[in-house]
Amino acid sequence: MKATKKTQAEEQSFSKNIQTYLSFRLDKETFAVNVHKVLNILELKPITKVPQSPPYMRGVINLRGNVLPVIDMRVKFGMEQIQATPDTCIIVLNVDINGEEVMLGILVDAVSEVLQIDEEKIEPSPSIGTRYKAEFIKGMWRDTEETFIMLLNIDLIFSTDEIITLQNKTEEAQEVKE
Amino acid sequence: MNDKFKDKFKEEASELIAELEQLVLRLDQNRSDSQIIEEVFRVMHSLKGGSAMFGFDLIDKLTHLLENIYDKIRNNELKINDDILEVTLNVVDHLRNLLEETPANRNELEKTNNKFIKWIEDILSARPKQTDPVNQGEENLNDYRPISTYYIAFYPSLDFFADGSNPLFLIDDLWQLGELIMYTDYQHIPSLQEIVPTNCYIGWKILIASRKGINDLMDVFIFVNNRTRVEVHKISETNLLISEPQRKILLETLQKKDVNTLEQLTTLARDLEKIQEEVEEKNQRRTTQTVQTGEQAISSIRVSSEKLDNLINWVSELVTIQAQLSLYAQQNHYPGLTPIAEEIEKITRRLRDDVFSIRLIPVANMLTRFQRLVRELSHNLNKEVVFETKGTETELDKNIIEMLADPIMHIIRNSMDHGIEDTAEERIRKGKSPQGKITFNAFYSGTNVYIQIIDDGRGIDLKKVKKKAIEKGLISHEAELSHKELLDLVFLPGFSTATNVTNLSGRGVGMDVVKRKIADLRGQVEIESQENVGTTVTIKLPLTLSIIDGLLVKIDNTHIVIPLNSVYKVFEYKHEYINNAINNLILADGNHIPHIYLRKYFEFTTPPPPIERVVTIEFNDYYMGITVDEIVGEYQAVLKPLGKFYKNQEFFSGATILGDGTVALVLDPNKLIEEYAKNEVKIG
Repeated sequence: MKATKKTQAEEQSFSKNIQTYLSFRLDKETFAVNVHKVLNILELKPITKVPQSPPYMRGVINLRGNVLPVIDMRVKFGMEQIQATPDTCIIVLNVDINGEEVMLGILVDAVSEVLQIDEEKIEPSPSIGTRYKAEFIKGMWRDTEETFIMLLNIDLIFSTDEIITLQNKTEEAQEVKE
Repeated sequence: MNDKFKDKFKEEASELIAELEQLVLRLDQNRSDSQIIEEVFRVMHSLKGGSAMFGFDLIDKLTHLLENIYDKIRNNELKINDDILEVTLNVVDHLRNLLEETPANRNELEKTNNKFIKWIEDILSARPKQTDPVNQGEENLNDYRPISTYYIAFYPSLDFFADGSNPLFLIDDLWQLGELIMYTDYQHIPSLQEIVPTNCYIGWKILIASRKGINDLMDVFIFVNNRTRVEVHKISETNLLISEPQRKILLETLQKKDVNTLEQLTTLARDLEKIQEEVEEKNQRRTTQTVQTGEQAISSIRVSSEKLDNLINWVSELVTIQAQLSLYAQQNHYPGLTPIAEEIEKITRRLRDDVFSIRLIPVANMLTRFQRLVRELSHNLNKEVVFETKGTETELDKNIIEMLADPIMHIIRNSMDHGIEDTAEERIRKGKSPQGKITFNAFYSGTNVYIQIIDDGRGIDLKKVKKKAIEKGLISHEAELSHKELLDLVFLPGFSTATNVTNLSGRGVGMDVVKRKIADLRGQVEIESQENVGTTVTIKLPLTLSIIDGLLVKIDNTHIVIPLNSVYKVFEYKHEYINNAINNLILADGNHIPHIYLRKYFEFTTPPPPIERVVTIEFNDYYMGITVDEIVGEYQAVLKPLGKFYKNQEFFSGATILGDGTVALVLDPNKLIEEYAKNEVKIG
């Protein structure tokens, strides 16, 4: 709990409107997480699969003597499983799951770059017609090459056990109708 | 800065309070022990001093008053009684709350404080009245008269029954006056032809230890006719019935025929008194000794448990790194490296053992609350129960002890509520001592610690258990269950045999929760019960939570550690044999054993090796096989949690890091088999 407070304080003192994000690639799409959540970036290493676990749980690795769960972000977002390439990375994150701090690794196709993002330029994600549930996306940001980067609300993504899939769209559509 | 000292005081104070609690409970058993009273006084004094210094004025006030009581006791102006013990114990509880004083709850605490202050003042002021004989009840006086032992010979006249008297009623009356042993004298019963059925031929020789005077004892026989022979003699100023061996000797003397019983008893009484004096002296010497050793123990130092946890984490990592080094030395033959690696392995192992032993604390540390529980419940339930402890020096990991307290509380509550008979009469009728007994027994066995809670109550009514299980649809009508299987039913969720729900137990959250909590500690719980003899609950626990001896096995590329203490034997089979096994049974050591084919159960899709191994596991008195690809060897596993993402994979108790830095999963065979049995789909 102490650590959460600290990061929040840091966030505030760092800047009122400029935030640093780490972007990464999943298939053809680019996502980004706030660097305050990032602890480490690791090369891909052998992952021990835990039997009978959900498909997006790739398994566990040894992180300096601790057991770290690794999540395949592609599967979590309803895409094909990640195939190992030289670019494949594990980003170690410290996320807040229902008030509890949990360390975990996410498997991504590649880590792209560190971005300085002006909070005011973040555009809200439209709630209808998108692939992902709006609550998981903090907003969209357009980089210099005019490609959209999705800024993730990483705490919320891991608070749910389900795979975040396309099916959520129909649910949302229904909700809108009601 | 101030806060830091305040925290330090709080820590110390809570220890003092715990000590006080223990002392008071000891005082309850041993009310005249001046040594304990002195200790109580000392503890209260330090508590008072510290609390005044750090601004806990409520504690200061309360302990000051309480100190007054014990000061008076020390000076023999007051005698320990139930009221004093009760108020002290209640104050102990209240003191704990007072330590957590905040401006918000101050008012409320002050109110309770005043209540206690009034109570204490009542006690303090009530006592002088005792010198006033008018206000003083007969019973109170008796409380202060020491226990004496009397010999009573009671030989009813032949026509004793004629006026409707019953000698047994008189003996019942005697029971009320004190502890007694008796011998029923049948020697005057004539032969069958001469017997007159309406005559009373029986006599009694009785020894009674009572606080009453000789006249009170004579009064019991006030209405018997004057042909009846009643003799009452005081044979000792002390309680001769104090111990079992003494009672035995005395009883033997009572049984001797045709001798002057009184004369024999008086000489025997002299001897016993002498022995008692000697024993007391010895005991006193012993207590002074323990007090001394207690002071020597100050050579230990206090370390915060956080530091200890860190130390353990580092040692765990060291063990992991050492395994890596050993592996590296094995694979690369640098001259000189292997002996160094071996030496480090040796030292690491010793370091690990020592560090882990730091965290071990004796189970005696959790006994106070059980003692209090028994004391309070015996009050509330109006059952007289003694709580005995054995093997309290047995040591267990601090974390285990902390997590164990609740389940054991529950078991003791069950024993008190359902186990021990409702009335002393019921117990006497069954031939048991009127006082119920609950025993806490702890001992080592191998790498496990066993804790038993034994009561000598009425036991579990298996017929009731079966009926209930059928009612709840847990078993079918026709089910034929063994004694053990029936007992195991009580561990099923939602099972409670108590017909009346009391506020203590019997709410249906019962033994299943106990079982789950103990399983969380990688322990097992078993229950054994015989009707009218009692119930024994046995808890089996690992010595420590964080390291286990395991058998390292492999399936495909996944390493799995199976705890060695559950492994029975390992067998080797061709894949075809296992694949074609009839009804999933394989032949091992001449027995047919069911097995779990882990490759399939864990959804491995790679082709199996031509030869596979079956590890047999002991599970609830039968064997079960677990089939794996390969046995790697023995492995000391430092257990790491898998984390909340794998909370549904209960059949893994955690993971461990192997020498090459990869992760192996640690299997919990019992959970695996339970889970497997649950999900099993039977054909037909």
